[in-house]
Formats: sequence, C-alpha cells, structure tokens
Amino acid sequence: MAVNEKSILNRLYFISGCMFVFGLAVMFKLFSIQFVDGEKYKALAEKRVVKDVIIPANRGNVYSVNGNLLATSIPKYDIRIDALTSSSKNFKEYLKPLSDSLAKFTGKSSAYYQKELQKARNNKNRYYLLARNIGYSDYVRIRNFPLLNLGAFKGGLIVEQTEKRERPMGGIAQRTIGYEREDEHGNVTRPGIDGAFGVKYLQGVDGKRKMQRIGKGQWKPLSDANEIEPKDGFDIYTTIDVNIQDIAHHALLKQLETYKAEHGCVVVMEVETGEIRAISNLGRTSKGTYYEKLNYAVGESHEPGSTFKLMAVAAALEDKVIDTSDVVDTEKGVLTFYGKKVRDSKWGGYGKISVSEAFEVSSNTGIVKAIHNAYKDKPEKFVDRLYAMNLDDTLQIPIIGEGKPVIPDPRIKNGKWSGIALQWMSYGYNVRLTPLQSLTFYNAIANDGEMVRPRFLKEVKEFGKTIEIFDKEIINKQVCSKETIKKLQQLLKNVVEKKHGTGHRLYSENFSMAGKTGTAQTEYWMEDWSENKRYISSFTGYFPADEPKYSCIVVIHKPDISVGYYGADVSGPVFKRIAQKIFTDTPLVDEVKALEIKKASVEKEYNGYYSLAQTYKTIMPNVVGLPAMDAVALLENMDVKLKVKLNGSGTIIKQSIDKSVKLKNNQTVVLNAS
Amino acid sequence: MIASSHSADKKVYEIARLKNEVKEIRSTFLEGRTKLMRLKMESNVISVMKEKGINPSVIPPKKIKVKTKN
Repeated sequence: MAVNEKSILNRLYFISGCMFVFGLAVMFKLFSIQFVDGEKYKALAEKRVVKDVIIPANRGNVYSVNGNLLATSIPKYDIRIDALTSSSKNFKEYLKPLSDSLAKFTGKSSAYYQKELQKARNNKNRYYLLARNIGYSDYVRIRNFPLLNLGAFKGGLIVEQTEKRERPMGGIAQRTIGYEREDEHGNVTRPGIDGAFGVKYLQGVDGKRKMQRIGKGQWKPLSDANEIEPKDGFDIYTTIDVNIQDIAHHALLKQLETYKAEHGCVVVMEVETGEIRAISNLGRTSKGTYYEKLNYAVGESHEPGSTFKLMAVAAALEDKVIDTSDVVDTEKGVLTFYGKKVRDSKWGGYGKISVSEAFEVSSNTGIVKAIHNAYKDKPEKFVDRLYAMNLDDTLQIPIIGEGKPVIPDPRIKNGKWSGIALQWMSYGYNVRLTPLQSLTFYNAIANDGEMVRPRFLKEVKEFGKTIEIFDKEIINKQVCSKETIKKLQQLLKNVVEKKHGTGHRLYSENFSMAGKTGTAQTEYWMEDWSENKRYISSFTGYFPADEPKYSCIVVIHKPDISVGYYGADVSGPVFKRIAQKIFTDTPLVDEVKALEIKKASVEKEYNGYYSLAQTYKTIMPNVVGLPAMDAVALLENMDVKLKVKLNGSGTIIKQSIDKSVKLKNNQTVVLNAS
Repeated sequence: MIASSHSADKKVYEIARLKNEVKEIRSTFLEGRTKLMRLKMESNVISVMKEKGINPSVIPPKKIKVKTKN
C-alpha cells in the first residue's frame, strides 16, 4: 500500500478513536465505582482496616485467708508445628535433635517423634500438635528446641495462647474454689466460690473500642465516642486456710484409701465467726483413685445417724422433758415399734443406764426410749423444737446447689410422717441434713448457743483496696438455753474423754476434743443390703473441748466393711489429725515479767571489755586472763588488720606480742589459751 | 502529619510488645508462686522430711513473752 498522507491520517483516526473509546470505558468504570458502588466499597475497605474490638476484662483472683492464690487467670500455650514450611535440608538436619528434645520433654520416645514428624511432613500437615496447655516456662523451653528456634517461617513454630483459669493448689479444694464455664450453647456451670461470686465480683466488665489496622498484625486504637474502658474484676479473699486445707485433704484422702470408701468430705469451721477454714470433698473414680468430684459437704443431704442424737437430746433437754441423769432401760439392746426393731450395736444392750451414758456409748435403744417416753403423745412438740433450732432451714450459702434438710412434720400429710417417725428421727433416720448443716448446729453448741452462718468470703478487694468486708452473720442468737448448752458440751466431751465413750480411741493427753461419732446405715431400703452392708461413718465435733476454736465434721460414705465402718475408726482419725495439726501450730505462750536482774560479774566483764576496746586501737593490749573469745574479738576489731592465731580455748595465758607494742597491718599475733 | 501518624504507630507496636512482656513476666511469677506453694505445703514437707527421719512435732512450740516494765 502506497504511503500517502491520507492513509496515515486514516490510521491516526482509527488509533485515536480506539483510545478515545478505551478512555471513555475507563471513565465510565471510575464513575461507577465511585458513585454507583461507592458506598459498598467504602464499607468494605473500612471493614478491612477498622474493626470493633472487645477488650476483655481481667478476671479477679481468688485468695486464701492468708493471701495465697487459690485461683487466677494465666496464659497457657498450645504448641504446634507446620511440618511443611522448613526446607528439606533443615528438616533432615534437625529432625533427630528436635525429636530427642521432645522425647525428653514429654517422656515419649525419640523414635516416636521422628516417625510422627516425618509422617506429618509426608501428609503435608501444617498444624501438627506438639504440646497442649503448657505453662510459660515450658513454652520458653520448647521455643528453643532445634528447628523450632528458627521461628515461624523457617522452623514452622505455631504458638497459640489462651487465657486459662489456674488453681495453684491443684486438686485440693477444687470443687469449693470452683470455676465458671460456658459451653457452646451458652449454658454456664458455676460450681464453688469462683462460680458463686463470678458474676458479682470476679468477672468485671468487658470494654469495647474501634481499632484501625496498621500492619504487622497490629491494630491501633481510634478515637471513638462509643469507647468503653474495660473494668477488671475484683479480687476475692476467701476464708480458706491453705495449711488446714492441705492437712484436711490429705488426712481424708488417706482414710478413704485405707477404707476403700466411696466418697467423703471434711469441713473445718471457725467456731466464733463461722468462717470455713477448710473444705474437702473426695469421690472415687472407677480406677480407685480419688478426686474432688462433687461438693458433697454442701450438696448432699443424707440421714446423719447417731450424730443427730445431739439434736434430739438438745430438744428434749430444752423442753425439760428429760435430764441427763434420767435412767433408761435399753432392754437387752432391742426395741420394737410397730414391728420394726431398733437395735444397739452392742449385742445384748447396756442394761439400765443414764441418758448421758446412753449418749456417750451411742446406745440407739437408750436414746430412742428416752425420746419416745418424752414425746410419744405430742411428737409435734419435738418437731417444733427442732424447727426452733433452725434445723429445717437451708443455710443460704452463696455456693450453688445446697441440699435441703428434711425434718418431717406430723401435721403435714406428705407421706413422710409415720408411726415410727419420732423414734427413728431420734437416732438420725427419717431426717436428712447436709454435712454443712449438721456442722452448723454442732458449731452453735460449741459457740455457747449462737448459731452463725458458715462463710466462705472474707473480703473483696480491688488492687489491694478493700471494696467490701463480710462480717459474721448470726442465724439464731441462742438456739437453746445456756443451761442446756452446758449439758450438751459435757456430753460431747465425755464421748471422747470417758473410757466407755465411742470416741475414746481418739483421746489424746496433749489436747482435748469433743464430738459425736455416727455410724449410719445407708441404702438399707435396697434389697441386697443384708448381703452388702453399706454405712456412712461420721464424726462431728469441735476442739479444744473447753474453749472451742474450730468445729469440724468428717463424713465418709460406704467404707469397705471388711476393713471397718465405725465412725470412730473411719472418720475419727481425720478429725484427730486436724485437731492435732491446729494444736501443734498454735504456740503455747508463757508470759514472763521483766528479766532486769543485773549480775555484777557479767556487768564488770562487759565494762572491762568495752573500755579495752575503746582504749586500744593500734597498740597491743594485755589480753592475758581474758576469755579467748573476747580476746580474739578484741584484736580482730582493732583499727589495724591483724592475723590472730589461737591455740586452745578457755582463758588466755600467753600473748606473742607484749602489751603497749605498736601494731602493724597484717601482723600475726599468737595467743595461747588454757 | 505523616510523621506523627508513624510515630503513633510506633508507639502502638511498643505498647503491644510491652503488654506481651508484662503477660510473660506475670505468668512466670505465677508459675514460680505456684511451685513455691506446692513445695511449702505441709503434706509435701512431711513427705520430704520423712526420708531424713524427721517427723512433725506432736507438741506445739513454746513462746516465751517477756513483759518489760516500760
């Protein structure tokens, strides 16, 4: 084609036309992005760089009464490895050392890790779990293992951090310290103190603010009118004493293991204030080990058995229908009411004994007879007295799941009352109490009649500043008259002190205790009971017997009866161990009046030494006749540095440098002593 | 404007780093405290000392308090 002006122009028009159309298209697209879809894209962009962030509030700590941590939130780490990201050279080189280190860390074999890691690489696993839920120091250790120390990109280390609730005491008191857990459906379980006070004190309020992305995975806060600062949870100080708790836990554990029992609990309470010093609940697993399974002390109401005789006798004494010196006939150890038999544990009974003896030897027939005679025509009077002593009330403690007491009423027709109800109640059947409720009553007896509510909380603090203090709460100022109290205290004391008492095996010369044993049959309504007898062994009481400081209940369910089942054998030792521990921890204080007796010879020697030390600083003094220890001290404390060599002990008889000689630094002085 | 925005960003990084450090130090502290608490628990001390033939005392310590006149 000839090259002329026209063809060039045509080409030019064509090209510029194309460019114009293209330019129009660009303009159109720009316009549509900006104005048609503008809102959508702006929102999208903002979403990528700005977000609402919830700033979680720190959950408060739970402390013991002496300031030890019982529960706190600390970061825990899951360590994984991306088995694919490392170069084949590195992987090959470090596989063995890494496996060796891991083997040392977990206790599995090195060959296991070599195989597993190789497999993970072959399977292109970029998320292979190495360790779960480890603490910070372990995390630091793993971080420095071969290969992993190369970091995330070269070594494939993946670290995930989560905030976990940790109880430094481990399994001890776990159930009482408790936790707060939310499952995926939003249902929350809240056992123990942590659960009970979680919402009110511990959890705090989460904050909220807008954040803008600024790279490196960081977000920077934007100023935002709707910003909410997080408010950290308060710390709570419980009444638990770590030392007593520790002893109680281990004493209970030992006893449960010895008697292969099903479960058991122990509670220690301060008499005057109702503060719970220790609470331990252990249940057996299928493997025969024990752990804090449920809060039996708070939640499980059961027939208390003989420990309830105290309540029965208290009611009768208060109504003045019996006295401790009244004589009852135990009738060869068997009583029959409506064809049902009450038996004594001692075959043949105890003959004719006083009410107080019946209590001390825990004679079922004795107590049942006394109560039967006193109340057979008006059982509602007995029940009313029990109600007046608050035995039918729940304790209203904050821990969730308290068991309800059952004390039947003859005036209410609900199938709980029967012709034998009164008799059976008097020795602890046909009624139900939780261990904590029983203890509260015993505590009231120890506290001269003032019934106080068991308490778990002492103080709520924020950064060491007190927010709220909890004082003792009185349930009943006087559960029964002082006179009755005195008699009951004497009875409880006799159980341990008197030779015939059921608790006499626990007697110790060193310290005093008072209490009542209980050996209750349980599940006796089941058909197989006669072949497979099951008991609840308990001991409830307080110590010291005269000025009670702590009350304590020990309940052990279903001990192996081939080993033993009596309350004094099974539960008593736990009680005694705790009493002993508290006794040995409390120093006996002897007060001595001022010892300002001056002994002339001592004074004289002291003054002599003092004046020598003041006079001789660089000149050798005469030390002959001085005690060796004084002489050496004197020479070594002079202004010049001397090397003192001492032969013998006692008083100095010879000195190598004469008196009044000027001394030089590093000079040696030899002293001979007798 | 740009410079100050960058310096603000830098501070954010610094804060994040320090926060992490605080967390780590706190958790080492708590770990140490937990360990100490387990070590000093009486049941643990008893089991350790048993090997050496030392048992807890059965009588309490005696405290002598001297009362001075002034």
